[in-house]
Amino acid sequence: MEPRRPSRAVIDPKVRQVGFITPNAPPQQPVRTQSYPPESNSPPLSESPASNSLSPVMIPPPRHLSDNLTAYRTPAVPVPESSRRRAEPAAVACSYDPSESLFGTSSPAPSPLASSRLVVDGEFSEESWFKKSDSAKFASSFPGGGFDLTTVKNVGVAAAVAAKKPAAVSGNEKSKASGAESKNELPSGSGSKTSKVKMTKSERRSLQESQRAAKGGNKSAGASSSRAAKQPQQKKDAAPAPPSVAASEKKGTDRPPEKERKKDVPAPRMQFDDKSRVEKAKKRAVVNQTEVRNRVELFRHLPQYEHGTQLPDLESKFFRNDPMHRAVYKVGLQYLAGDITGGNARCIAMLQAFSEAIRDYTTPAEKTLTRDLTAKIGSYVSFLIECRPLSISMGNAIRFLKNRIAKLPLTLSESEAKTSLCLDIDRFINEKIILADRVIVRHASTKIRDGDVLLTYGSSCVVEMLLSHALELGKKFHVVIVDSRPKLEGQSLLRRLVANGLNCTYTHLNAVSYIMHEVTRVFLGASSILSNGTVYSRVGTAAVAMVANAFSVPVLICCEAYKFHERVQLDSICFNELGDPQAVAKVSGRGDVNYLGSLGNKDNLQLLNLMYDATPSEYISMIVTDYGMIPPTSVPVIVREYCRDQLWI
Amino acid sequence: MMELEIELKKASDSLKSWDTTSISLTAGCDLFMRYVTRTSALEYEDFNSAKSRLIERAEKFGEISYKARRIIAMLSQDFIFDGCTILVHGFSRVVLEVLKTAAQNKKLFRVLCTEGRPDRTGLRLSNELAKLDVPVKLLIDSAVAYSMDEIDMVFVGADGVVESGGIINMMGTYQIALVAHSMNKPVYVAAESYKFARLYPLDQKDMAPALRPIDFGVPIPSKVEVETSARDYTPPQYLTLLFTDLGVLTPSVVSDELIQLYL
Repeated sequence: MEPRRPSRAVIDPKVRQVGFITPNAPPQQPVRTQSYPPESNSPPLSESPASNSLSPVMIPPPRHLSDNLTAYRTPAVPVPESSRRRAEPAAVACSYDPSESLFGTSSPAPSPLASSRLVVDGEFSEESWFKKSDSAKFASSFPGGGFDLTTVKNVGVAAAVAAKKPAAVSGNEKSKASGAESKNELPSGSGSKTSKVKMTKSERRSLQESQRAAKGGNKSAGASSSRAAKQPQQKKDAAPAPPSVAASEKKGTDRPPEKERKKDVPAPRMQFDDKSRVEKAKKRAVVNQTEVRNRVELFRHLPQYEHGTQLPDLESKFFRNDPMHRAVYKVGLQYLAGDITGGNARCIAMLQAFSEAIRDYTTPAEKTLTRDLTAKIGSYVSFLIECRPLSISMGNAIRFLKNRIAKLPLTLSESEAKTSLCLDIDRFINEKIILADRVIVRHASTKIRDGDVLLTYGSSCVVEMLLSHALELGKKFHVVIVDSRPKLEGQSLLRRLVANGLNCTYTHLNAVSYIMHEVTRVFLGASSILSNGTVYSRVGTAAVAMVANAFSVPVLICCEAYKFHERVQLDSICFNELGDPQAVAKVSGRGDVNYLGSLGNKDNLQLLNLMYDATPSEYISMIVTDYGMIPPTSVPVIVREYCRDQLWI
Repeated sequence: MMELEIELKKASDSLKSWDTTSISLTAGCDLFMRYVTRTSALEYEDFNSAKSRLIERAEKFGEISYKARRIIAMLSQDFIFDGCTILVHGFSRVVLEVLKTAAQNKKLFRVLCTEGRPDRTGLRLSNELAKLDVPVKLLIDSAVAYSMDEIDMVFVGADGVVESGGIINMMGTYQIALVAHSMNKPVYVAAESYKFARLYPLDQKDMAPALRPIDFGVPIPSKVEVETSARDYTPPQYLTLLFTDLGVLTPSVVSDELIQLYL
């Protein structure tokens, strides 16, 4: 067992202690508490290596990208060895030589991360998919070049693996030699991004170069795209393309292999617990934000900034047209201030800002319209992400726009191209949002009968339209609006509905089980619906849907089809958005309710303000979209049939 | 060409109006219309060739529906094993075909038939099965839970298969499916693909009512109400598999097929 390095001030996220513990607890010897499941293809993280004094109820840390690809083994522990032996015949049956490819690119450096985990089976079976050519080595299965995070993890993983299998040293030497030769040619952009791994810098660099060499040696685009295609299958949280595309554009370096990969697979999202990456991203950031100091461990991979620090700085830059178009700036400020909320509203505002920006755009000399405009849109998107992380609907809209730009015929003049793009944007807004809403309202109002008691949560624009429309149709029904702190979005909905003449009841989330027995239907909106039927919506939606299910009340989700995404999410943790934690502590308008005031920055108090949650599909009865009423199991069908290549026909 | 489509629509509507409660009729007409008109033949210049193309597709549709029962019977043979006990509810010609084929294939099985009040469908079915020399036992509707222990599988037909994957069938199907589900017995539905309807009931009352008067044999006082609905809706979570001419499907595939056909 490798002794851990003496205490560090920073808790390494890969081995971080998750659960309710005090930070800065001294790291102790890792303890193996779990044996490996024999068959898992996507190996669960058994425990964090630093899980020493934690209770058995601890939540295992979220999986990171690199965890898929390697097996960590401590020779001292007998259990994993046997499972590894078990895995090996399977791997061999896949015509895959574990020793050769696993450690092909790692240098024989001892890894302090020796203690980590991972089922060999899963790793082997995943690897066997990749083995297309002999240069498709373990590390090369990653898009090594572009995504710093992955190479970093790659390196760490590869290093750790290398430590375990001295038998594969020969393989290492071979690749190291090849790596050394190609070292000079390759961009060393990500060479510095190895802070997570406890290897010497030169070892890491050589590892990365060798990985890149292996990758560069494999020229076939097919292999790289197939590799890339395999990746989302491993990653538990396949990222949406736009933030990752924006993130990669943030880095700015051009890496040709990625471009073809980008077509196949969305790049991984930036995980915010990687300090060096965050630093680098900050340098490019337009908005200066300071990170909140006291963060919840479980959500360290999500960005969280001090609320309200950016506004004055941004306002002063408002009237400069460069680097940001003023319309985009304005929309960004509105997001930041919280003036525009709701998936549809944000998407429409963003698209209209882009439309204006395109209208004012002129192609610089020596550049093509498509490439330069795509880059510009990318920079706008990065700015918007800094103001507020993108919603999935915005991500899909951006993908659509970039697709349209890329598909512009080269023979068009600049003004024609710009008009065509603006028309496309208008058509998208009109068809996919405005008309779609009308179709949804028409379908869903057939499900409202006289005498119904309808429940809704928060404020969804589609549900509001539906209720107003049903009222116009003359149906007699009663509405219950369930609201929750800190946003209290239901109050604005309540005001508008009462002004319209509807009979309404208003309550908070804690009373939902009290009132549910009187309810006949539940109508909810969604920020997005994922491919396994999971509804990703405002936090609290899942609770309402589950209570409704327990009372056998049908739950109907009203969501436009452009918000569907092919991603799959199993819980609310791996992808979410963190809001201002102070909003949880304070009650607006009640200065006397300030019990947490003095505890502001205590170490053992962490405030969490989640914005979204994921509702599993078994609690949903029906999804009303502009393609009709579908069961939650049919979401991937719609994605498959109508969202091919982001054409959005 | 447009005229022809309008004529077709009128004919379909008049056919549907003959029995507004029949889901399979409505669904069948709709699917027929979609199938027939969903062809690029409508853009042909020559009207005669377009017309003959339509007729060709129409005849094909008829053939498919006719052969559907035989295909379903063939597909379900694998699920009937020797010595099994099958519970049947309602008189479905598809299920009868399934059992007939199984008997012809010399499989040894026995059938429990529910009485099927008020239509006495169980009596008709048991007659037919007795002719095939299949051992049949009649149950009253209330004896289903009592006998569920000795049953290996439940076979029902369907009036209509709805978008969620559930079925609309004779009154009592939901009850039987619930009992079978709670005792872990599989529920198989045999339905032709033209019965896939674009309905999505959320609960039992969310459908168009289909009423059928019940004769109790004794006069009922006028103050007493009678529930005369002839159909109920079985949600998809209680169904195991659907045998259709498109293959053996799970309930979630129904929506897939409907989307592909209608959109």
